[in-house]
Amino acid sequence: MEMTKQTAAAKRVRLPRPGRIVINAVLILCSLIWIYPIVWTIISSFKPQADFFKEQLTLFPATWTLDNYSRVWSKANFAVYFFNSVIVTVFSVLLVLIMTNMAGYVLGRYKFVGRSALMAIFLSSICIPLVSTLIPVYQIVKGMGLLGTRLGLILSGAGGAHVVFLLLFSSYYSTVPNELEEAAKIDGCGFLRTFVKVMMPLSSPISTTVIIMESLWTWNAFQLPLILTLNNPTARTLAVGLYAFKGENTVDWTGICAGGAIAMVPIIVVFIAFQKFFINGMAGAVKG
Amino acid sequence: MAGEARNLKVRIDHVSKVYETRNGPTEALRDVSLDICENEFICVVGPSGCGKSTLLNIIAGLQMPTSGKAYCNDHEITGTGTERGVVFQQYALFPWLTVKKNVMFALNMRGVKGAAAETEALEYLKKVDLEKFANHYPKELSGGMKQRVAIARAYAANPEVLLMDEPFGALDAQTRTQLQSELLETWEKDMKTCFFITHDVDEAILLAQKVIIMSARPGRIKEIVDIDIPYPRNQETKLLPRFMELRNHIWEQVYKEYLEVRK
Repeated sequence: MEMTKQTAAAKRVRLPRPGRIVINAVLILCSLIWIYPIVWTIISSFKPQADFFKEQLTLFPATWTLDNYSRVWSKANFAVYFFNSVIVTVFSVLLVLIMTNMAGYVLGRYKFVGRSALMAIFLSSICIPLVSTLIPVYQIVKGMGLLGTRLGLILSGAGGAHVVFLLLFSSYYSTVPNELEEAAKIDGCGFLRTFVKVMMPLSSPISTTVIIMESLWTWNAFQLPLILTLNNPTARTLAVGLYAFKGENTVDWTGICAGGAIAMVPIIVVFIAFQKFFINGMAGAVKG
Repeated sequence: MAGEARNLKVRIDHVSKVYETRNGPTEALRDVSLDICENEFICVVGPSGCGKSTLLNIIAGLQMPTSGKAYCNDHEITGTGTERGVVFQQYALFPWLTVKKNVMFALNMRGVKGAAAETEALEYLKKVDLEKFANHYPKELSGGMKQRVAIARAYAANPEVLLMDEPFGALDAQTRTQLQSELLETWEKDMKTCFFITHDVDEAILLAQKVIIMSARPGRIKEIVDIDIPYPRNQETKLLPRFMELRNHIWEQVYKEYLEVRK
């Protein structure tokens, strides 16, 4: 481990000082430009509603207030949306994780008739634009009588093939040495126990990656949740609720900022907390 | 040991194994028959690719023979069984479990749970001198220590037959010598039936009562050599004239097969 660290450090190209300063300055500027709208949104969410246009160009408001949050949270239903988002995300992630992990295990480690055909079908489904599945998915959810329900949102979100996750799992599992599986068998584990006790803990870096990516995806999903909850606002998630918040005549800008912050901050926190594992998982999957 | 009445433990009866590969079938084993008695220590030597591991996997139940049958305790081997334990060359430890938990995994599968499993795991670790490392993870151990854990784990499963597939093959010479001595000591005490694969002729003679020389692919049993050096043995056994004789003889046979492979 230490050896690889050292060689990696040695390999990193060291620019001369002035060069490094210029590059760092450019990079910092880019980061600032990139992050400015987010920072502005979050800070604006603390501005008094009346002052919004008066102060719109200044970053820091003269007075700070939490009015926007309390207004959005209780009057504009964001408490409900938040709850919906959490429920939908948690269960979608769980379903996707179990599904892709199990499928990836079999695809990665077992040879069976039709395996490559199955893989080809999964891969080619990447090329189908998501929009073209909107109507069929809507029809199916409607047929199940789940329009405007959280269960409908969960199933429609988790129901895709999630090919990228499948590939992550299957390529990871295909690199696991046979001995580990055989050792479990020797100790008396059957198929299911080998999977649960040996393979699942082994694949935890990939699982973390999938949890983060699927959380981001589901939390921020907009189009499908929007059309599935058109007739029932109480089942909406944050992303949809935020959109619906824009009134026809008046627009509560600071309220939107507060809603945006509510929608944004949790997922950013999740990402930062899991970032280390995330990168480990991605690197592990590629290097094998 | 000759003359003692012995129970047959493992019987291999005209076993052949053919692998289907992209370049057509490959014959790994051809008509191998072998009896392994209780308490017997058997070593298998032969050039690489001669089907040693295939034979071990068939006894372990990880692979099925193409023709012929293998029996353990007079029952046909159709899959893995807890009466047969395996020590792999690459340790096969679970990286997310501590040393103690790795050993406890085998105990749990045997039905020993909780505190009892923990105490027993520590006992097995003591046997291999690793009780101080009980709470370390495999990645923090050296190769020799990892293989000790694997051996402790195999023992914890309490098998009747211990199958070892070049267990010391990946270790440096000193560690290997040390583990050989430890294994000898353990075996001289508990006399567990051992089936041990190695490519090291010295190791085979030092450990085994019988050395089986296998021929180049397709693997057949070329010769079974009785090692008539009495136990207890230790590293000094290697200096005995009889050891040299046996070594020259076996080495010559193995080398012939090696030349066969190169052709």
